[in-house]
Amino acid sequence: MSNQNKPDVKIRRFPKAFVWAHAINGIAFFALYFTALPMYTEFFDWLYPVFGGPEGARLLHRIFAVIFITPTLILAIFSPKFLVMWIKELITWKKRDIAFFGNFVKELFGFKFCHVKQTFFNAGEKINSILQMFCAILVIASGFTMWLPQFFPRALVQWGYVLHNIGFGLGIAVIVGHVYLSVIHKHSRPGWSGVVTGKVPAWWAKGHYADWYDEEVKQGNFPDLDDPKFKKEA
Amino acid sequence: MTKYMKYVDVTKCDGCRACMVACKNWNDLPADPQDFQGSVQSHPKVSADTWNVMQYIEHENGKGDLEYLFRHSACFHCTDAACEKVCPENAISYTKYGTVVIDHDKCVGCGYCVQNCPFEVISLKEYVDKNGDKYRKSQKCTMCTDRLEEGLQPACVTTCHTGSLEFGEETAMLKKAEQRVQEIKGRFPNAQVYNPQGVGGTHTIYVLAEKPSVYGLPENPKVPTSAVVWKDYAQPIGKMMLGATTMALVGAFVTNNIISRKNKDQDGGQGHE
Repeated sequence: MSNQNKPDVKIRRFPKAFVWAHAINGIAFFALYFTALPMYTEFFDWLYPVFGGPEGARLLHRIFAVIFITPTLILAIFSPKFLVMWIKELITWKKRDIAFFGNFVKELFGFKFCHVKQTFFNAGEKINSILQMFCAILVIASGFTMWLPQFFPRALVQWGYVLHNIGFGLGIAVIVGHVYLSVIHKHSRPGWSGVVTGKVPAWWAKGHYADWYDEEVKQGNFPDLDDPKFKKEA
Repeated sequence: MTKYMKYVDVTKCDGCRACMVACKNWNDLPADPQDFQGSVQSHPKVSADTWNVMQYIEHENGKGDLEYLFRHSACFHCTDAACEKVCPENAISYTKYGTVVIDHDKCVGCGYCVQNCPFEVISLKEYVDKNGDKYRKSQKCTMCTDRLEEGLQPACVTTCHTGSLEFGEETAMLKKAEQRVQEIKGRFPNAQVYNPQGVGGTHTIYVLAEKPSVYGLPENPKVPTSAVVWKDYAQPIGKMMLGATTMALVGAFVTNNIISRKNKDQDGGQGHE
């Protein structure tokens, strides 16, 4: 790794509310995925006894379904500023976002690449967010029709099954990429500790989200890594 | 392989309800007491403990006359059964007789079949096991497949005293139905054979005296489009997508390692910040 000569300064990337919301969302997502797996494919029918039979799996799925809904509320209550900033980022698309993808593919497969300056979320993270939010809305909305079919028109319940299936089918495909990038892929690995502790190395943040980092420096929130003080440390 | 059908001529039915009793008796189904329905009809529709229900319909025909219509209602045993399509556990299957049956050892009580049956003839029944835990299973008419296997006819057919119900070889039953419609056209101009093709035809066919909607039946029932999109497209594509993403990432992991090893050999690694 090439980060051995970097200054050991950490900056806060995510507010605590986001760290909690993300963790709850992640745990609930996988709990929902595993409790549904035996229904998705018979290959995983052996999971039924693990969850206490189909009834146990159904109960757990519903408990985690409720938990899965809470992260949005946590953010909205405890860190509405971050939520608004996030949504703003998602609807802002500029040339730099498109330029990101070519370099991202190179980086993903280990080829030489250069960083395209990004704001708080890079274009890949924005796509991930949009897809995850879309999938979450699909599975949550259709989840209600599946859970309480007696309160909905029959056609809505029937289409609910399809949307639930599409929502989590697409969701898990995106999540696999999301988890790979944070846990396994060497260049983005500091992102993992970032989402667990809320803090990331300053050099990494500056490299990956230059525009955001520079803006925070201007506001006096983050240390200026170009300052000779830090260069000396390095 | 000979194909069989249950033939129901509603115009011969006298509403005696012996078919309901025979069904309860043979299938050992408990009594299912109901509140007064506002007519002589005992149950609003079929349920988990009442697999066939005699419908009594007061219908004003086009001439201003009142017709008192009866219909023995039960599972249609579709050729393309939506319940079989959507069952996530493969608990619902077709038998060699063309009947559609539920394997209760496999059924997990999810209720997908209940919501997708175009005729709404499947219900969930709640049971309590020896530990006091509740569990559910789907229930519906089996067309007495256990009797068919023994060379017997369905219990409802055997007991029918008017010849309204018959069970026999498919072509013979279809021919009989067509002939019967011709015979009764004078009295029932809207008479028709009900063997809906939207579900590939059914293994219980009806000679109806009136339009299907008069009996509360769908005019053009079919396997729900949502069930086709779900099972034939969304699910397989979803599985493929997960496989494709995983393969791409395995590829990324491998090329990453190969390239960084190569770079290390050459110049001690590519700079990255």
